[in-house]
Amino acid sequence: MTAGPSRGRRYVMLLLLICGFSVILVRLVTLQVFQAAELTAKADRQHQKTVSFEGARGMVSDRHGKVLAMNVEVPSVFGVPTSLESPSTVARHLAPVLHIRSDELERKLQQDKSFVWLARKVEPEQGRRLEQLSLDGIGVVMEGRRFYPKGPLLAHVLGFSGMDGLGLEGLERQYDLDLHGEKRVTVLQRDALGRTVFPKGLAEQVPTPGHALTLTVDEVIQYIAEKELEEAVTRTHAKSGTIIAMEPQSGAILAMAVSPRFDPNVVAALTPDRWRNRALTDTYEPGSTMKIVVASAALEEKVMTPESMVFGENGHMVIANTTIHDHDKLGWMTFSEVIQKSSNIGAAKTGMALGEQRLYHYLQAFGFGQRTEIDLPGEVSGLLKSPKDWGRRSLASISMGQEVGVTPLQMVTAVATLANGGVMMKPYVVSEVRDQKGRLLKEVLPQVKRRAVSQDTARTMTTMLEGVVTNGTGTKAAIPGFRVAGKTGTAQKIDSRTGAYSSTQFVGSFVGYVPAESPRLAMIVVLDEPQGEAWGGAVAAPVFRRVGEQVLNYLGVSREDTVKIALAMKDH
Amino acid sequence: MKTLTIVAGVLLVFVFVWERVDVVRVGYQIERLKTQKVLLERERDQLQVKFSALTAPERIAKVATEKLGLVPPQQGQVLMVHQPGDVPGLPLPSVEQVRLARHDSTERVSE
Repeated sequence: MTAGPSRGRRYVMLLLLICGFSVILVRLVTLQVFQAAELTAKADRQHQKTVSFEGARGMVSDRHGKVLAMNVEVPSVFGVPTSLESPSTVARHLAPVLHIRSDELERKLQQDKSFVWLARKVEPEQGRRLEQLSLDGIGVVMEGRRFYPKGPLLAHVLGFSGMDGLGLEGLERQYDLDLHGEKRVTVLQRDALGRTVFPKGLAEQVPTPGHALTLTVDEVIQYIAEKELEEAVTRTHAKSGTIIAMEPQSGAILAMAVSPRFDPNVVAALTPDRWRNRALTDTYEPGSTMKIVVASAALEEKVMTPESMVFGENGHMVIANTTIHDHDKLGWMTFSEVIQKSSNIGAAKTGMALGEQRLYHYLQAFGFGQRTEIDLPGEVSGLLKSPKDWGRRSLASISMGQEVGVTPLQMVTAVATLANGGVMMKPYVVSEVRDQKGRLLKEVLPQVKRRAVSQDTARTMTTMLEGVVTNGTGTKAAIPGFRVAGKTGTAQKIDSRTGAYSSTQFVGSFVGYVPAESPRLAMIVVLDEPQGEAWGGAVAAPVFRRVGEQVLNYLGVSREDTVKIALAMKDH
Repeated sequence: MKTLTIVAGVLLVFVFVWERVDVVRVGYQIERLKTQKVLLERERDQLQVKFSALTAPERIAKVATEKLGLVPPQQGQVLMVHQPGDVPGLPLPSVEQVRLARHDSTERVSE
C-alpha cells in the first residue's frame, strides 16, 4: 500500500527534474547556439581592448649625427559625447587648457557620437593638466608628433609630415617608405577592473620604428648659408633667394638654403608657395653664368683658346634684326677677357662659332634641360629647346644665358663639374639609411653621371674663372687667402604684363668654387629681384665671399698664405 | 599510501594554482615595467628634442653674440695649422715651421 504514493512522488520529482533540466538545456542551447555570436562579441568588447600601434617615424640627422627631425610621443585629447552629462561645463574646464574656444569645444561635445577628437598632438604639459582635471568622458592617448628641433633650419629640404604621420613635402615625402613606422593592430585582454592582463608576446607586437636617415648636409654650413642669405635678401629687398653648397668631388649637398624661410613645426597657416624648394622647382634665365658652359664647349672643341682674340664690336652688334649690347664699349679682347668682362657679344660670337648642334650637345652634357635626379621631390627639368625649335637669334641668346631656363641646382651641378676636372656627379642629400638598431641598410655612394669636358678644359676654365674674380666682374667674391673661380650672372626677367624683358626685374647670381686649385666647395648664390643695384657681381658675389670664408674656416681649409706665413715667421 | 597520494594530489593542485596566480602576478609586473620603459623612452625623446633645439647653431650664435659678447673672427684672425699630409695637394711646411706658426699666431691676430 505504501508503494503507490511513494512511486507517485518519485514520478513527480523525476518530472520536475526533467522539466528543470529541459529549461536549462533550452537556455543553454539559446545562449550557446542561437545567441552565441552576439554574446561572444559583447564579451569580447568587455574583456578585450583593440589597440593600434604605430612605430615612431625615423629620425633625420645631419652628416655629424645632429638631429634635424624626430618623433616624440605627445598627448592627443578625445571626448566621448554620449557619456557626458553637461558638455558645456566640460567645455568650460577644457578651454583654458587646450587654448580652444569654449563654444567650439561644446559644439563638438554635443554631437551624437561616441568618439570625437578635441585636440591632437598637444604639448605634454597640457596632457598633464588634463590628467589632473580627470574629467569624465574626456580621455588622453599618446600619439607620435614630428618635431623639427632646429626650427626653420633646412626646412625646404626636410619638408614635413602630416597629422597622420604621412610625409607630405621634402625628404619626409621622398623617403616616406623608409621613414614611416610599422602599423599594427593588437588585441589585449582586460580584467574586471579594466587593466590589461598579461599582454602575451607584447614584445613581439611592438611595431618597428621607421628607418633613420643621415644627410650629407652639415647643419653649421646650412646655418651659415641661411644666415647670410637672409641678410642679403633683407639688404637688397629681393623677393627670394637661394644658396646651394656642394662638395664637387662627390655631388654631396652641404647646404641648400632658400629664402623666405618657414618653420616646419607650424605649417598649418602657410601656403605651398612658402615651402616650395625653389632651389630645384623654380627656373630662371641664368644670364652670364651660362657663359661658363659656352666657354667650356669652345675650349673643348678647340674653337677658342684663352688667347684667341675676339672683337667686341664696341658694345653693339645686330643679330636677326635685334641689337645685342655689352655694358661697356669693348673692342678687341682675348677669349679669357670675354669671360672676365662678361661680354655678351663675345659669348654670342663664341656660340655662333660653335654652331647649334655642338652648343646643344654641351648644354646637355652639363645637365641642362634634364633633372639632376637629386633625391628630393618636385625637381623640374628646366627649359632647353631642341635646335630645330631655335629662332634666328637663339644661338646668340642662349650663349648669353637667355631663352633657356635652369634651376639653381642644375647650374651649381654644372659648375661643380669643372671643379671636379670635367666629371659630372649626381647631387644627393641622403647618404645613409639605418634601421632602429643602427644597422646600415643603404649607403649612397657618389655617382658619376658623365664626363662633360676633358680635364685640360676644366683646368683652363678654372684659370679663366679665377680671372673673373681677380680682374673681372666678380671681384667682390674674392676670399682673402684663397683662389676663387667663379662667374657672375645678371639676367633680366620677363615682365608678365608685356611679355618682354623687364628693365626693373633682375636675377642676380654668382656661381663658383674654392679653393680653385683643389676645390672643397662649389656654391651658387641666386637673388631674385633685388632692388637697387642688381648686378650679380654687386649683390650675389659678396654673399659668396662671406659664406665661402666662413665655411672654409669651419672646414679647416688652409689659406694659401699659411705656408708663406710659416716660412716668414721662421725667417724672423 | 592513500593519504600520501591525497597529500601529493593536493600539493599538485596548490602548485598548479600558485603557478597560475604567479603567471598573472608576473604579467602585471611585466606590464608595469613596460609602461615605465615607455615613459622613460618618451622622456628621453623629449630631452633629445630639447637638447637638439638648445644646440641649434642659430641659438648658439645668438647666445654667443648677445649674451656673451663674442664676435665672429675677422679677416686674418683665423690661421689653420695642419699636420703635414692633412690637406692633399697643398704644399705644407715642415713640422718645425708649423710649430712656429702656431707659436706666433696670437701676435698676428692682434695686428
